Amino acid sequence: MLDSSTESPNPALNPSPDESLGGIEAGSERYNEMYEAAGRPRAQWEAFDTLLRNTKRRELNRRLTSARRQIRDSGVTYNVYTDPEGQDRQWELDVLPLVLSQDEWRYLESGLGQRARLFNLILADLYGNQDLLLRGLIPAALVLGNSSFLRNAHGMLAPGSLFLHLYAADLTRSPDGQWWVIADRTQAPSGAGYALENRLIVSQVFPELFRSMGVQHLADYFTSMRNALLAHAPKGDGPQLAVVLTPGPFNETYFEHAFLARYLGFRLVEGNDLTVHDGKVWLKTVEGPLRVHVIIRRQDDTFCDPLELRVDSTLGTASLMQCVRQGSVLMANPPGSGILEAGALMGYLPRLCEYLLGEKLILPSIATWWCGEPAAMEDAFTRYKQLVFKPADPSHRFFPIFGNALSGARFAQLQQDIRRRPERYLAQEMVQVSQAPVLSTRTRQKLRPRNIGLRMHACVTPSGDYMVMPGGLTRVTANAKSRVVSMQRGGSSKDTWVLGGDEREDAQMSLLSSSFSPRDLVPFNAAVTSRVAENEFWFGRTCERCESIARLLRVALTTILREAPVDPQHPVLDMARAWSLLDAGHEIEAALLASCTQEELPFSLAANLRYLNQQAFQLRDRFSADHWRVLNQIQHNQQYNKTLNIDQALAWLDSIIVYMTTLSGFALDSMTRDSGFRFLSIGRRLERLSFMTRVFSVALDAEHYPGLTWLLELCDSIITYRGRYMSQPQWLPVLDLLIRDEANPRSLLFQARGLHDYLDKMENKHGPCGRQILREGLRKIAALDTATDFTPDSARLRETLALLHNLCYQLNDQLTSQFFTHPRTQSAWSSPWL
Amino acid sequence: MSSSRAMNSSSAAAEPIHYQVTHETLYEYSSSVTHGQHLAHLSPRDTPHQTVLEHELLCEPAPAESTSILDYFGNHSLSFLITAPHERLTVTAHSRIAVHHHAPDALLAAQPWESALHADPYQTEALDVAEMRLPSAHVDCLPLSQKYASRFFTPGRPWLEALLDLTQTIRREFTYDPRATTISTPVEDVIHNKRGVCQDFAHLMLSCLRTLQLPARYVSGYILNEPPPGTEKLLGSDASHAWVESWLPQVGWVGFDPTNGKLANHEFITLAWGRDYMDVTPLRGVVLGGGSHTLRVRVSVARE
Repeated sequence: MLDSSTESPNPALNPSPDESLGGIEAGSERYNEMYEAAGRPRAQWEAFDTLLRNTKRRELNRRLTSARRQIRDSGVTYNVYTDPEGQDRQWELDVLPLVLSQDEWRYLESGLGQRARLFNLILADLYGNQDLLLRGLIPAALVLGNSSFLRNAHGMLAPGSLFLHLYAADLTRSPDGQWWVIADRTQAPSGAGYALENRLIVSQVFPELFRSMGVQHLADYFTSMRNALLAHAPKGDGPQLAVVLTPGPFNETYFEHAFLARYLGFRLVEGNDLTVHDGKVWLKTVEGPLRVHVIIRRQDDTFCDPLELRVDSTLGTASLMQCVRQGSVLMANPPGSGILEAGALMGYLPRLCEYLLGEKLILPSIATWWCGEPAAMEDAFTRYKQLVFKPADPSHRFFPIFGNALSGARFAQLQQDIRRRPERYLAQEMVQVSQAPVLSTRTRQKLRPRNIGLRMHACVTPSGDYMVMPGGLTRVTANAKSRVVSMQRGGSSKDTWVLGGDEREDAQMSLLSSSFSPRDLVPFNAAVTSRVAENEFWFGRTCERCESIARLLRVALTTILREAPVDPQHPVLDMARAWSLLDAGHEIEAALLASCTQEELPFSLAANLRYLNQQAFQLRDRFSADHWRVLNQIQHNQQYNKTLNIDQALAWLDSIIVYMTTLSGFALDSMTRDSGFRFLSIGRRLERLSFMTRVFSVALDAEHYPGLTWLLELCDSIITYRGRYMSQPQWLPVLDLLIRDEANPRSLLFQARGLHDYLDKMENKHGPCGRQILREGLRKIAALDTATDFTPDSARLRETLALLHNLCYQLNDQLTSQFFTHPRTQSAWSSPWL
Repeated sequence: MSSSRAMNSSSAAAEPIHYQVTHETLYEYSSSVTHGQHLAHLSPRDTPHQTVLEHELLCEPAPAESTSILDYFGNHSLSFLITAPHERLTVTAHSRIAVHHHAPDALLAAQPWESALHADPYQTEALDVAEMRLPSAHVDCLPLSQKYASRFFTPGRPWLEALLDLTQTIRREFTYDPRATTISTPVEDVIHNKRGVCQDFAHLMLSCLRTLQLPARYVSGYILNEPPPGTEKLLGSDASHAWVESWLPQVGWVGFDPTNGKLANHEFITLAWGRDYMDVTPLRGVVLGGGSHTLRVRVSVARE
């Protein structure tokens, strides 16, 4: 139905609703979220049913397209490690939301809130006096034998006596309409940010319904989260600082980390941005350490601290556990909270709820058998065909095993495995999960049924109670038959609309602005972390290096075209050799072409572009969408490892040079002038200065070689030269233009001065950081005598160039040792016994 | 810290033996370390059989800060931070310890080994016993170790006899070989190669006991390395040593040393215990810089 021109005049108004809309299977054994029966939408879905019925295919497609563009433009991604699209898989969103009535919501809200309160108490007990284990309310082996119970977290002094700040649950609905919790998420619950992002998009796809249906807003939830975390956190050592701790850009939900950080006004940091001393956590910035009071942690428990937990973790911060135990930082959630995710606990929750809260458990968990209890294990074996077997310990990963799919032999094997380490297994009842419709562009029917699961979130409030997010992330299976709802397995997602909100408020306004007051504004001059500064510096250097190499290859290839056969002694080829772009012993043209595109050649343009991409990825949350788009285009326009002929190569080099120029334009035009920008600019200028001094020394060595056009082209100064001098290039005017011309941005003096200005600004703030080194270089340039030194045989000229070249290295080292994260050669070791 | 009361009735009359222990760890780095965070389990704990009389821990260079806590198992755990750039790190622990003569009550220890099992899963028991029945990160319960263990634990066999038999058999059948294994050699390899050091034999024995669901814990410590004239020097005495303790109702924890094939007695000085070596690593660290490193450990244990 994509091509609406072939349809009847009004294809949407089909007399038989179930045929036109689809989305329901006659006689389906599953609960259908939207329809009670064919053609009979549930009350909360009526508005959608009407809208879909009355909207033409073409109009729906238009809305879909606009939603897709928005996802692309805001760069919403979900990384899947094994995915060929790798780092940048676009977020999958079906624009039809899941709609929950107010009554249904109230039930879920009370159920989820109760579970959060319950889990908080369980956590407090397990990491405190362990009364629950001593009384046998939870089998001791379930906790003490589980690798997610962290003994180092025992006895921790949780700020505000709160152990659980964030909580999420995966819910599913059985055919009779009952909701069940199938998984609890407590160590680093994800999804709330994606839910918010989905909301921003979907509320714009259906603005009229969003307003008229009275959908509850999400903004209050995040405001409350922000305020609560700050309210419960310790204070002292300057203003309160809150961070979102991410494992880094390669993590599957990195987008969400960056998005949440931005939305909450928290800093996005990685483990090596933080350091521990004086029993407190500090953020390493170029302006010195800043005390951290709140950490929203998106790293798994055991990766948090390479000293106390996993020694092989390169993500963590050594001694972080010490701060957690002392309560000098609020970590949401504290390491060790992963024990609550052990599904084995589910079977014990009703009893625990009565014991700890004196209440009946409102929201039931799916029936669960923990094999660590011998009777439960035997029982699970007798009914294995109705069960799905899962790991009960995070150290023991395997995909769920569906009992009804097992042959007799495979079941026997499974039984044997379980008997050997029963505590690592659990069995759960299989549920026929509910279905909701997704909009389809490819089939005749507008709607297709898909299995869904709902992830809901709760967060602590400033008063210490829990607030449930009125919405959630609805996840959709990749196809109608799929049994596992998982974004990792190629599913999609939906917004979740909870009815019963205030209809008068304007949706988008409230979401985007009402949650912020002037004091929520993030100060502009926020200190840049050492890691970001280092990445900016290297991003700047790499941009410039890619441009220089592209220019060098372009000049070399044009020279070959112009002067066939080319003289192997041509200085531009010497230059290519100096940059390892031209291997001795290879045919010249082939070798240069290989240096354009062959990634495995370490100094090739392709290798440098790949490196640029990695650098950019590390800085992703600092780029605008447009900036990011150019970076994406460079990668998409890649010729990695292709074999190009000389014309194709030149065309490609032209485009790369244009992209690089565009990038430097962005840097100048749209980047905030914080110290990150300064480091980027210093990186660029340092690289250019270093490249040019090297170019000159090669050029001077080839002083008797006729013609200097290549040199002017390489330094992008040919137009300027021709504008001034009508003659063929001569040494004196060329050197004057390239070395000491104050107006030529490619001259040595211009670059050195620019660098000096940046260092000057830095020194005002940070004290000496290398300006003195540069002064010496500037003095040398000034001391050159136009009459005697602008000729290849001036010893003073050569000496000046050598000094400038050397000075680039010195500056690089100075900045590295003064500002950047220490070299990442962390190692952990332990001494042996004999 | 009182040592006035003899902790074990069977040897109440004998005077405790006083030991001086020096444990020196030296790291040499190929390049300078600018920031080092360390975690040490080098301070001996009090036990029913021993009393720590004096203890000091010296670091060179001196730490900028240090924090001492009792860990989950009640061991002394010290973390320290060194910010002075250095190319060598020396950590020296000096202790004076009084160890009482002790031996398990012969009659009680002759109970059938099954009485150490936890028969009724709905009955709770002490958590420090319960958790030592379970596999841990470095002590897997393998069919191989179960097979190895089952011949010692025949129905109704006296507990002490079965455990000693296992301890002595490991000593006989396995070769002490410091080059055969590393700190992370899995139990499976040890069984296959029949070689290793004290840590490997301790892990092997833990695996055997825990597959039978007998409580067993890893103990780090020292043994006397200046034996009386005419007696043989014990294996593993030049560095820190490791052995196993297992638990029996009414008797408590009793130490067995599979490396030397004997019951742990007054010649054994306990440093710390845990589920396996990872819980009680003497010294570990995360350093910035440093390049490669070499490690030297020297231990001396002398009777006063």
